[in-house]
Amino acid sequence: MDRNVELIRITERPKPPRPEEIPLRFSETAVQELDALVSHYPDKKSALLPALWLAQREYGGVLTPEAIAEVALRLERSYAEVEGVATFYTMYNKQQMGKFMLEVCTNLSCMLCGSYRLLEYLEEKLGIRLGETTPDGLFTLTEVECLNNCGDAPVMQVGDVYCRKMSVEKMDALIDQLRGSDEHSVTRLADAIVNIQLSAADKARIASEHE
Amino acid sequence: MAEYKLLTQHIDVPDFYQMQVYESLGGYLGLKKAVEMERQEVIDEIKKSGLRGRGGAGFPAWIKWNGIPKDTSKPHYVICNSDEGEPGTFKDWELMHKAPHQLVEGMIIAGYATLAKAGYIYIRGEYVECAQRVRHAIDQAYEAGYLGKNILGKGFDYDLYVHMGAGSYECGEESALMSSLMGERGQPRLKFPHAPLPTIAGVWNCPTLINNCETLSVAPHVINNGGEWYAQIGASTKNSRGTKLFSVSGHVNKPGNYEIEFGTSLMELIELAGGVSGGALKAIIPGGSSMPILPADQCQDAILGYEELMEKGTMVGSGGCMVLNEHSCIVTFAWRTAEFYAHESCGKCTPCREGTRWMVQILERILQGKGRPEDIELLLEVCDQIDGRSFCALGDAAAWPVRGMIKQFRNEFEYFIEHGKSIVADRPEWQRMAPPKHYERYNPMRYDYTYGIERALAGKG
Ligand SMILES: Cc1cc2nc3c(=O)[nH]c(=O)nc-3n(C[C@H](O)[C@H](O)[C@H](O)COP(=O)(O)O)c2cc1C
Ligand code: SF4
Ligand code: FES
Repeated sequence: MDRNVELIRITERPKPPRPEEIPLRFSETAVQELDALVSHYPDKKSALLPALWLAQREYGGVLTPEAIAEVALRLERSYAEVEGVATFYTMYNKQQMGKFMLEVCTNLSCMLCGSYRLLEYLEEKLGIRLGETTPDGLFTLTEVECLNNCGDAPVMQVGDVYCRKMSVEKMDALIDQLRGSDEHSVTRLADAIVNIQLSAADKARIASEHE
Repeated sequence: MAEYKLLTQHIDVPDFYQMQVYESLGGYLGLKKAVEMERQEVIDEIKKSGLRGRGGAGFPAWIKWNGIPKDTSKPHYVICNSDEGEPGTFKDWELMHKAPHQLVEGMIIAGYATLAKAGYIYIRGEYVECAQRVRHAIDQAYEAGYLGKNILGKGFDYDLYVHMGAGSYECGEESALMSSLMGERGQPRLKFPHAPLPTIAGVWNCPTLINNCETLSVAPHVINNGGEWYAQIGASTKNSRGTKLFSVSGHVNKPGNYEIEFGTSLMELIELAGGVSGGALKAIIPGGSSMPILPADQCQDAILGYEELMEKGTMVGSGGCMVLNEHSCIVTFAWRTAEFYAHESCGKCTPCREGTRWMVQILERILQGKGRPEDIELLLEVCDQIDGRSFCALGDAAAWPVRGMIKQFRNEFEYFIEHGKSIVADRPEWQRMAPPKHYERYNPMRYDYTYGIERALAGKG
């Protein structure tokens, strides 16, 4: 990428929102879930990663500046600190992704098993390049590092599921199946991760508070 | 020698991930035995077993266990490192997916032995399927009274939590993992001797035991059968005891996890995995992408053991065994390895942050046919500048494989630079592995926070 563009990008960044000025979007359940998650750690700050997962779910799959501000407010951290953490980890989306994120592993074993050819096939089939989203907002095509299921290479991840031993035929079937599905893979993944971190007791407590 | 199934003995039993099935096959007996023992006795059994860490470095497990203070003036914590991110490795995935109770039991035993208040299982964010199984296992263990207050009536309180990562290989490094657990960027911390050991001041500045998922899964077996029994397994090797899961992938007929006794030969492992597919063997990376490559002729008499592989110039590492057949291109392989480390470098220290990108740039220009004759020496120079000078082992892990590949397959690099194409360019395998022509790596780091970039590109910025 052109260096000047990079520089423009940095200087162009709008001012982050002030946490106290944004409308809060965490649902009542999400607030209770956050409380439960915070109780797992000796201090509030440690719940930052789980809180960002929650925010990713509550904000429809993307950590907007408002989402980051809300997490900062709820965990009593600064905006800059939360933004720093959110940008470090690749699974937190900082841009709106398609409904389905097709994440193709191109690391060593998958590369040996032909994942770059699958990537090319997908680019052609969906008419987009790596890193882009289809105009209908359905699919985002990305490349990921090893998903650590190399025994079933080539592997790809769609939301919370792994698709193993992929081939052109399986890819066609998958895309067809996704087109007919009304799941949202990105929020589904965030929701699954939140639920994994909540214990059965946490969930029972949250459910009882709702009655 | 065939497989030696200890950790994976029952993983094909249907519903082995359920408490009932696990218990009916001898599950939680190790824990029941452990709580009848003195805490020091548990640690002594681990010592007798000769168990070494399975996460990469092979550090004796008992030293860590024994290093935790024997009083509880500060709370103690146990962490399971299930951030498995080393390319080529998928053993923790199988252990958690098929035998989550084994890990939970190991975590409770470790917690008992180290007087811990709580345990955290750090699982990478992508591993949703197996993390759900671990969640389920923990919930069942609470129900059965193996977790929570007054465990098995012994007055021992212990809680177990799952903490999910969010996509960062560096978080597998133990001090970076602790940063991540404390809600920070996954960057490593100063280490011993410049800072106290994690067993004294780890996560939240408290005594912390951190072990790999496989290491902890071994604990129930050691306690149940005795350390001496465990130490007989693999006794033919210098100092590697027990069994090890190797994840075999790449050009083999039956890729998968194979649990073998230390002392088994590398070629036997490849036989277990159905032999090399698609042609003759070219090279094997026995221990995950961070480890140096072994060319075919050196694989023939290689023995799987920590010291045994070290003598061959490579390492057991995490056990991610990648097999390359004769048609694969080593230069492309080296480039993709370097790409991985450049992408995962956390950016804290200069040798690794800049060096890994330099390696990628040099290798990229070789792949584009614009390589220069001095590039090989330049690459080696960059490797030397990173190795030993980086803040954490990721830098070293980036330098070793590239240096190893140049050392063992220098001719392929020379050929590529001279002819502008791969030495195997006309083989179908290479067609399969070559990156697309227009390929420009999608780097999420680069795309982060693209406020205004579209506008900038459109000239409106
Ligand atoms: C860059 C890097 C990545 C690592 N990734 C992992 C990992 O994914 N899983 C793991 O268990 N250990 C990993 N390790 C090793 C850990 O730092 C640590 O040695 C290990 O968790 C200790 O457990 P053990 O003694 O049971 O092996 C990594 C180390 C480095 C330097
Ligand atoms: S070697 Fe340095 S830059 Fe690389 S991961 Fe470690 S601390 Fe970060
Ligand atoms: S290389 Fe693709 S899953 Fe490991």
